[in-house]
Amino acid sequence: MVSVNRQVRVLPALLLLLAGCAPAPAQPQAAPAPTELKIGAVLPLTGPFSASGGYFQQAYQLATDEVNGAGGLDVGGKKVQISLKILDDGSDATKSRSLVEQLATQEKVNALLGGYDTVLVQAQQGVPDQYKIPMVEGGGAASAIFTRGNKYLFGTLATIDDLGNITMDFLKYWIDQGKLPKPLRIALAWENTDHGKDYQAAVNKAAKDDPGHFQVVLDQSFDLNGSDFTPLLTQIKAANADAFLSDAHLPDFITMHRQYTQLGLKHKFVTYGARGPDQKGREALSSAADYLVAGLWWTPALTDQGSRKFTETWKTKFNVTPDWFQALAYDTARVLYAGITKAGSTDGDKIRDALAGLQFEGALVPGNKISFDQTGKPKTSYLMTQNLPNNEVAVVWPSSIEGAKPAMVPMPGTT
Amino acid sequence: MYEPSAIAGLVITAVLTAGLYALMSFGLALVYGVMKIINLAHAGTMMLSAFVVLSLNRALHLDPILGAVISAALFFGLGMLLYRVAVRRVVNAPPIASLLLLFGVWLCAQNAAYLIWGSEDQSIVTVYTYSTIDLGDVKIAVTRLIPFGVSLLALAGLSWFLRATDLGKAIRAVSQNAMAARLVGIRSERVATIAFGLGSALSAFAGGLLTLLFSFNPDFGGTFQLKSFSIIVLGGLESFTGVALGAVVLATAESFSILIPGWRGSLINLLAFSLLVAALVLLPGGIASLLERRGKSE
Repeated sequence: MVSVNRQVRVLPALLLLLAGCAPAPAQPQAAPAPTELKIGAVLPLTGPFSASGGYFQQAYQLATDEVNGAGGLDVGGKKVQISLKILDDGSDATKSRSLVEQLATQEKVNALLGGYDTVLVQAQQGVPDQYKIPMVEGGGAASAIFTRGNKYLFGTLATIDDLGNITMDFLKYWIDQGKLPKPLRIALAWENTDHGKDYQAAVNKAAKDDPGHFQVVLDQSFDLNGSDFTPLLTQIKAANADAFLSDAHLPDFITMHRQYTQLGLKHKFVTYGARGPDQKGREALSSAADYLVAGLWWTPALTDQGSRKFTETWKTKFNVTPDWFQALAYDTARVLYAGITKAGSTDGDKIRDALAGLQFEGALVPGNKISFDQTGKPKTSYLMTQNLPNNEVAVVWPSSIEGAKPAMVPMPGTT
Repeated sequence: MYEPSAIAGLVITAVLTAGLYALMSFGLALVYGVMKIINLAHAGTMMLSAFVVLSLNRALHLDPILGAVISAALFFGLGMLLYRVAVRRVVNAPPIASLLLLFGVWLCAQNAAYLIWGSEDQSIVTVYTYSTIDLGDVKIAVTRLIPFGVSLLALAGLSWFLRATDLGKAIRAVSQNAMAARLVGIRSERVATIAFGLGSALSAFAGGLLTLLFSFNPDFGGTFQLKSFSIIVLGGLESFTGVALGAVVLATAESFSILIPGWRGSLINLLAFSLLVAALVLLPGGIASLLERRGKSE
């Protein structure tokens, strides 16, 4: 009979012997190529943002269908079909975040496309880093999105501070051309949101840096979805400014500019930030919206080959003219897919690294390139448009852009 | 510095805005006066009415003013129906029941509007949208004069209706003491049904006229409802004259706020809520109680 003590002494020796006889560990093999790529997005398909959410859904689907129609996405040399899962957050920020988490934990998506607008993107932005699943978003434009230390979040929408910057560059050019007074007296009105604060900061910085060109004579905020702008417009009238710069969402733009026109206000230059050529705005304001200047991420008035092709494709497929929402969402999906191809893998970390160093060519945005800085903020810019009579829109800045026309500055009817 | 014409412009703005605010608030005050409930569906009624006016404008090219009249008639019926089907069941329950019920009605109205009209901002342009009357350097928009004039007419009409007609007297009797009104033979249930219908019609009329001034979507009305609530508390909840004066106080405070050094326009809603708190703490009976006390002392 073998004692227990002897068994204990013999056991390590046996284990060593077995280890010696065991075959050498196999060299790590390449992970099997994925057969399907799962992409998730949470969009506001119902509720206040449902119109824009619907545009994003159509554009994400179009970009995905194009890739799948061409045989799939190239991932590590193999064509892989993309499965796009889109959930509806009802325009609710809390629900938006929890649904993105659901995509990460239950649907096990490989990457994420972002929501719309800034508030919902801000609600979603914690999830990518938490689960190390990269997200590319084209619906949030406040610079605050990129100050939170995210490593897995990338944006394609140039931020609102850049909108302020390009507007001031544009004004400086026309001041130097002698078309606007020097220094230009500016009345500034901004909505009390991250958007508006970005715009205000950019305009004030430009004025502080270049007092020879700019003088801010009124700097006033207003509430989002305001009911009456007459007191604000009375201040603007009293400020006796040459230019009126405002950053507003569509309903406030319509109400404010109606009241502006009714009060008989006139400035040599008027802008409402990214508002102006919107069809709803032009319908609501009719000729009062003529000659307004806007800073945009994209417009169907662009004449470059990519923009023309996109506009035609969209019109054929959806029977409407696309706006920047559709174009940026389409670019956003294409950027993510280009990042995955560059990574050659469906691994979150590898896709993240690939996106961080991506130089995406053939984008619709001005300059036709999208890349990111270390915060994930896009290195893209705006273009400026001016409304013309008969519902026409002209691209007026930068002058280097294909098809750009000289702006009508000062606005006709002002001296 | 503000020129005299700018100050004159502020005065005119305050008066016109007061008319607009009063018009929005009469319906809320009437329902509270008779039933002692806060009609949280008021904003939903204004919003739905705006869309009804839009649909009439698009389909039949109907002017928004005429559209608002038709919409008011429609919501008079719908209001009575809502009262008979749901509201009357909670009138005598604790206040939270009617608040929750009418809040639910508002949410249903919002979601129905999203389904029917979508979420895009809508607006109506008329031939007089940009018409103004010039008083020297001051321009007055016709679209602001219309709600003001209508508000004065509504105030006069409501005062006459409540004082000179049997139904009006019955409404006043029920609002003062429902039990006593029943004891003298007033069919208080019928009176309450008509009053709720009338309150809804007033809200719908206001909502329809607001399309002259504002763009709107299914979220429309929330800010106006909060202001209306502040106004009726300030005015004394049940008095139409008090409501009109409450509207003047709020509109004047908002218009002249820009004269406060360092004022931020984004604080404008704070004024309404500050007045609400001040009225609740310092003047629980509102301006109407001040008028009443003054009347008694004379």
